[in-house]
Amino acid sequence: MRICRTSSSAGALIATVWCLISAPLAAQARLTQEEALRLAFPLPATVERRTAFLTEDQLARARELAGPDVEVTSRVVTYYMGHACASSAPCGLSGPPLGVAYFERHRVRTLNEVLMFVVSPGGRITRVDILEFLEPPEYRASPRWLGQLLGRGLDDALSLKGSVVNLTGATLTSRAIVRASRRVLAVHQVVAPLATPRP
Amino acid sequence: MRLIRWRRAGMALAVTAWCTSGLLAQERDTTEIARLKAQIEAITREIEELKLGREVVARADTAQFGLGPAASKVYRAPEGVSLGGYGEVLYEHFRAAREDSQPSQRTNQLDALRLIAYLGYKFDDKFLFNSEIEFEHGSTGRGGEASIEFAYLDYRLSSRLGLRGGVLLVPMGLTNELHEPPTFLGTTRPLTEQVIVPSTWRESGLGVFGDLGDLAYRVYLINGLDAVGGGTSAASGFGGSGIRGGRQNAARALAEELAGVARLDYTGVLGLTVGGSAYLGNSGQNRTVTTTGGSVDLGARTLIWEGHLTYQWRGLDLRGLFAMATVDQAAALNVARSLTGAASVGERLRGWYAQAGYDVLRTTRVGHQLVPYLRYERVNTQDRVPTGFAANPANDRRIVSVGAAWRPIGNVALKVDYQFHHNEARTGISQLNANLSYLF
Repeated sequence: MRICRTSSSAGALIATVWCLISAPLAAQARLTQEEALRLAFPLPATVERRTAFLTEDQLARARELAGPDVEVTSRVVTYYMGHACASSAPCGLSGPPLGVAYFERHRVRTLNEVLMFVVSPGGRITRVDILEFLEPPEYRASPRWLGQLLGRGLDDALSLKGSVVNLTGATLTSRAIVRASRRVLAVHQVVAPLATPRP
Repeated sequence: MRLIRWRRAGMALAVTAWCTSGLLAQERDTTEIARLKAQIEAITREIEELKLGREVVARADTAQFGLGPAASKVYRAPEGVSLGGYGEVLYEHFRAAREDSQPSQRTNQLDALRLIAYLGYKFDDKFLFNSEIEFEHGSTGRGGEASIEFAYLDYRLSSRLGLRGGVLLVPMGLTNELHEPPTFLGTTRPLTEQVIVPSTWRESGLGVFGDLGDLAYRVYLINGLDAVGGGTSAASGFGGSGIRGGRQNAARALAEELAGVARLDYTGVLGLTVGGSAYLGNSGQNRTVTTTGGSVDLGARTLIWEGHLTYQWRGLDLRGLFAMATVDQAAALNVARSLTGAASVGERLRGWYAQAGYDVLRTTRVGHQLVPYLRYERVNTQDRVPTGFAANPANDRRIVSVGAAWRPIGNVALKVDYQFHHNEARTGISQLNANLSYLF
């Protein structure tokens, strides 16, 4: 009887340890751009790469939309449009748009992170993924924190002064991500990918 | 007739030549456009790679862009070294008179309180080194010091479980681990988190940490406090004003007695953190003391526990903490430390504070923050003393802080507050403080 108890306790201990160490290393997990796009637009959707070249006026407009403390510097904007595909046969790019994915690299504290934002045809954020995060893991935004950005459009509420809750103990991370989301949505409005004919 | 034929032939030839040259030119244009498109595509890919990094843009093992199976990842060795830091300068202007109207005899002070250099190194995705080196009070030649605030090695087995070893920040309270001045309100740390949870409190040890969904935990085994101090110990020992002097700060720490500390935080609601922590260990460091009853092994078991809460929502910043500590064999400890009367070590110490602030610039489009705040705090480091000793009423303190923090950017803060100090002996000295701090 004692042996049974001992072995069941040992079994429980082993199971607990296994449970703890078998979880994915989310805090350090990295994605390539390709993997992130596949998560955003799963098969059989197709993905189209496009680049927009902003005029000076468009750049100024994007800056204005993004807000006073958000830098918008690049005139070359590459984005990825996901297209729905009804069949499993190879599809072209004629399916209805699922959304537009933008990739963002910015500094958090002294090191960078790379994010993917997916914007819906309605101009709202539908997905945020961290592709790379080089700061110590304790500064990384949790999926729950990132979740509060979903469904948001470009308005005054999208700021730490608005309705975005700060990331306790990682203020610089939350600030950087909110700025990035404003930048992406501002550029998205200016580029208007869903209204732009295919080049 | 022959002339007409020649003319017709010549015209046909001219038309054919003209048509052919047009087609050839069109074909050349099409080829040229395709070539330019390919060049632009290549340039934009190069730009994207420069912006995002080669490793992010790198393709997985797939033939078709974006749609194939990503069987393997192309990961580089991560950027290793990480630098950062923070610092603060504190001005303290004391009232000339105490509560009881006697002269306070305190001198106003302007102190380069802290300058911290943060240095980290990521060996790979599992091994990470993290450290903070602290310079206090401007110069080691003028009473300041240079210290290792923490220096540990992490090995992350998964997001749920990691191993940590080295010089560790004891995971207690709200300030000890997150003590960068721009991140909290108040020109000084709450007194409860100085004398009961003796921030900044670091000791050597090892432990485990991780996240279980909305729960974050840390469990460490560290060298215990030294309640007696003196001799080869870096500690000065416990006293009537608290247990802060028991810290060994990882400096040739006596490790005759080890201690355990555990912390659990719930972060399941955005903006809310609620949790608690407990420390338990003997602080006698295997000493004996001779009392009137004979020789006694000085265990001086010390239990410190605290519960805390922070909540940030739409400009509102709330936090509160309750902490209590109990020290066994306080009477024997008094003998070991030659403490008598009201100088006794507290058998029980108790403190709490509640604080609220609100960003009054929240609704403006100005990037700055201006956060008036109020903190109320009660601390008694001799909440109970052993039989035969008395409590010093000056250790039963009440502090009300009223002030404001201005953050022009998130990394910089200028805080000004007035602290009303009261104690049961009516010897409290109120003060005006200004604190300039930064982090990067």
